[in-house]
This record gives sequence, C-alpha cells and structure tokens, in this order.
Amino acid sequence: MNAPSDTHWFWLALIVAVVVWYSTITLWVASRGALDIRTMVRRLDEENDRREGGG
Amino acid sequence: MPNFSWTIDGTIIGLYLLVTMAAGLWLRKRVRRVEDFLVAGREMNLHLGIASLAATEFGVITCMYAAQSGYTQGFAGAFPGLCQAVAMWVIGATGFCVTRLRDSGAMTLPELFEKRFGKLVRWLSGVVIVMGGLLNMGVFLKIGGQFLCFVTGMDTSYLVLIMTLLLVLVAVYTVLGGMLSVLVTDFLQFVVMSAGLLVVTVMILWQIGWQKLVETVQVHHGDGGFLPLSNPGMGWSFVVMQILMGAAATLTWQTVISRLLAAKDSSTGRKVFTRTSFFFVCRWMIPGLWGIAALAIVGWRPLDDLKESERVALPAAVVQKVSESPVGRPLEKLSPEEVASVPASTQSKLNDASLNAMPKFLSGFLPIGLMGLLIAAMLAADMSTDASYMLSWGSVIYNDILAPFRRRPWSDAKAILWNRFIIALIGVYLFVFGLMYEVQGNVWSYLALTGSIYLSSMSVLLIACCYWRRANNWGALCSIVLGALVPVLHLTCEKVPALAHFVAHVTKDHAGIAAFAASALGMVAGSLLKPGSATPAQASV
Repeated sequence: MNAPSDTHWFWLALIVAVVVWYSTITLWVASRGALDIRTMVRRLDEENDRREGGG
Repeated sequence: MPNFSWTIDGTIIGLYLLVTMAAGLWLRKRVRRVEDFLVAGREMNLHLGIASLAATEFGVITCMYAAQSGYTQGFAGAFPGLCQAVAMWVIGATGFCVTRLRDSGAMTLPELFEKRFGKLVRWLSGVVIVMGGLLNMGVFLKIGGQFLCFVTGMDTSYLVLIMTLLLVLVAVYTVLGGMLSVLVTDFLQFVVMSAGLLVVTVMILWQIGWQKLVETVQVHHGDGGFLPLSNPGMGWSFVVMQILMGAAATLTWQTVISRLLAAKDSSTGRKVFTRTSFFFVCRWMIPGLWGIAALAIVGWRPLDDLKESERVALPAAVVQKVSESPVGRPLEKLSPEEVASVPASTQSKLNDASLNAMPKFLSGFLPIGLMGLLIAAMLAADMSTDASYMLSWGSVIYNDILAPFRRRPWSDAKAILWNRFIIALIGVYLFVFGLMYEVQGNVWSYLALTGSIYLSSMSVLLIACCYWRRANNWGALCSIVLGALVPVLHLTCEKVPALAHFVAHVTKDHAGIAAFAASALGMVAGSLLKPGSATPAQASV
C-alpha cells in the first residue's frame, strides 16, 4: 500500500473546520432565526392591517 | 439488518413531521398578496435567510450524490463544494450582479431581462429556466425514496408509497402557504437536519477514525482520491465545469436567488450569500465523508445489490469481472457483448450500487434512536428542498411564462390560486418523472448537465444585462438557444441507442463547458450582428 497522500492534512483541516463552523452557525441561526420569524410575521400583519384599513 | 425501531425511531420521525406540518400550515392565512406567496412579502431577515438557503440547498439528493462522489472519488469528490463556496463568497462580498438584481425589484430573473431585452426574451428565459429546473429536480423524489428504503430496510417495492407520502406532505404546506410556509419550515428543517448531520459525522470520525478513512481513499483511489487533477474520473474538464457551475449557480439558480429576492434589501441578500458560502463546503464534505466511511466498512461489492436469482443468471465471467471492477464502475471491464448479456434491470442495480452504498452502511452503523434522528434530518432536508424547488419553478411559470396571457393584471386571489395550481401540477410531474426516468452514470454529472441547460445562458444574460452596454435581444436569443441546445442534444443522444455512439466519448463535463462557450459566443455574435448595434441603445440595468 502507498503512503497516504500528503494532501490529506488539507482534508483533515477542512473537515475540522466544517464541524466547528457548522455547529456554531447552527446554534447561532437557531437562536436568532426564531426572532426573525416573529419580526417577519409582525411586519406582515401590520402591512395587511394597513392595507385593509386604507381601503 | 437495519437498526431501525418503529417505536423509538418512528416516534422521533412522527414528532418531527407533526411539528413541521403545523408550522407550515400556521402561516397560510397570512398569504394575502401574490408577493407574500412568492417572495414572503420581501420581509426575510438575515438568519432566516441563512437557514432557508442552507436547508433548500441540502436535500437527500445532495446527500446521496455527494456521498456517491466521496465513495467513488474520495476526498477529491468534494471539490465542487469548494468551487461554489468561493464563488458565493466572492459574489456576496462584491455584489457582482446580485446587487443590481435585488435593487431592480424583480421577482424572477426573466422579469429583469424584460427590462433590457424585451418580452420575448423574458418568456423564452422562463421556458429555459423551467425546462432545466424541472429536468434537474425530476430525480429528487425517487432518490429520496431510495434513501429511506435502504436506511429503514424496507423493500424497494414500497418506493412508490414513500414517494407519494413525501410529495403529499410537502405539497400541502407549499400549496397553501407559499414562500411564507417554506421559510418557516426551512428554519425548523435546518435545525433538525444540522443536528442529524453533525451527530452522524462526529460518530463516524470517532468510531472509524481519520487514519482508516485516509487509508481507504489511498487504497481505492490513490492520489486521485485527494487531488482532483490526478483523478482519472475528474481532470481539467471536471475542474473547469465545476468553477463555471459554481459561479453560474450562485448568480442564477432560481432557488438561490429567490432568497436574495426575498431579502428585505440587497445588503441583507449579500450577507446571506457571504455567511452561507462555507455551508457549500459542508454540503459536500459531510456526505462525502459518509461515502468514504461506507467504502471503508462495507467495501465495493456491487453484486450484493442483486437478488440471488439475478446473480445466478449472470455468466461466471461477468460475475468475476464485476466483482473485480473499479469502485463505482461495475460494467467497465465487460466487453460490449457481455454488457448486452446482462439484463437492463440488473445493469441498473449494478450502476446504482455506488449510490446506495452510503444508506446501506448507515442502516447498520447507527444505533436505534440515532437512526430516527438521521431519518428526521433527511426528511427535513428533502422536504425543504422539494418545497423550495416546487415554489421556485412555479414562480417562474406564473410570473414569466404565463405573463403574455395576462392582458390585465390578475387580482391577488386569482394569482395565488394559479400559483397553487401550478405547484400541484409540478408535484404530479415530479412523481411521474421520478418513476419513469433512469439516471445514467453519476447523479451529480446528470444534475450539472441538466442545470447547465439554463445556467449557461442565464448567467451570460445576467452579466451582459448588468455590465455590457452593447448587449441586445438578438444576442440574448442566440445565447439562450445555443446554451440550451448543447445539453439537450447530449441528453437526447445518450438516450437514443442509434445516436449513443456519437456521444460515447463526450463526457457530461465536456457538454456542459460547450454549453457555456456556445452561450457566450451567441451573446457576443448576436449582439454585434444586430443592425445598429454599434451604438449602445439602452443603458445597463
């Protein structure tokens, strides 16, 4: 068997970066995304009320 | 024997489906205008945008083809993800094309093109986008069903039932709530999907170990498993095609730009791009690693996918050659006469062996409980992708292809009804196409080629529309026709036995690059040939 290619360190660094970055972004988006949904729904309700009120 | 428990794993899956459906249906009453239905009233904020884009761009199909690439090409199989991540980050950071696109106020790309190239180009762009998009997503449902059959250990005769259930669940909330429901369910699906992907990946790294994964790639693929240019299945044409695809998909893929267009402003849209860009590395690296793990644990045994009766029907020489074939290419060592002696259904199963290796591996690798989480994660991935794709192509059909037939603007109620009807029709198409069409060879290459039907011409049109003052409708029409002609001809020749030998030596990557070149050439030649084109007639968008 040949020795593993030297480039495998690049792929190791990349998979570590993937796991760390993905875990972080999941927690960040999970906590802030819920607030985004609330804001979006509130704005839509306000917009619909304004349109209905305005005729 | 799959580690699937209907009590424990089934409860986890049932809970996930219940919460998703409730969230999807919750917003349906807030859909009042067609803009709410198609672009969520342009009220999407940054975090929701990231969750939605990531969930949409990772489906079971993604997981399957990226795992297949890892299985058949090693780490080098993740190269397309690197290309798209770089392209998305650069485009988001510079605002290249996307700032002008979002600021134009258009709901789809063809709507923007009408401002520069006229109504015919808008209509034709819509047709090409829908054709490429529907061919592309036509295989999603079947491959999603295949994954679920393999991980749960269900017989593939249940495939149609699983496909129907998946489709009905997704169609119900997409038809009723449009983009609003899609955004909220995407958010939930992103969280569930990410949890499943991360847990399974960490478990693979922990239990199998990095060293074994590296050695597996080295043994089966050599240096080509680490370096795309050293890989015989990749090479320069693959690398060039992936770079072109990465850039073009970021600029024009309808499901990607619909997040840009739903953003509250161009700055938010650009941030969604830059901050989601690294996800495109994840979406290839994570399933790719699962594919490598499948090769390390299960190995390459394509004959195991056949029933006993199918295996004994094969000549001994064929069995020998298939069992010694290189990973992912079971029929490569057979002569044309030997290939002809293998029944079509058996050939299909052998060709699918590399695609099905990852779910088969996971079905025995994950313990009860985690299996439920994995399936919930994959259902989340699949539902978010199918919903967004149905909505995106539906929006182009309504907004651009049907536009000439609307002499007066439709009321919002009528427009929303039509959009719902179109999405339901797309669902029926997905089901029928998924049952009838058989993908030849690598799934990713099929997706790249069908995507290039429109990615090539639409990216050329968008760049010319934004930055080339001499671009005109002649150039746009030539670009669309030539860009679509090359991949359609290739796919047709591949499926017609009498013509197959013409394309035997033309890979899907060659055909894809030719589509981009033909499209750019068409734009330049057509624009310059139009009488009076020496003087720029219209300003850029």
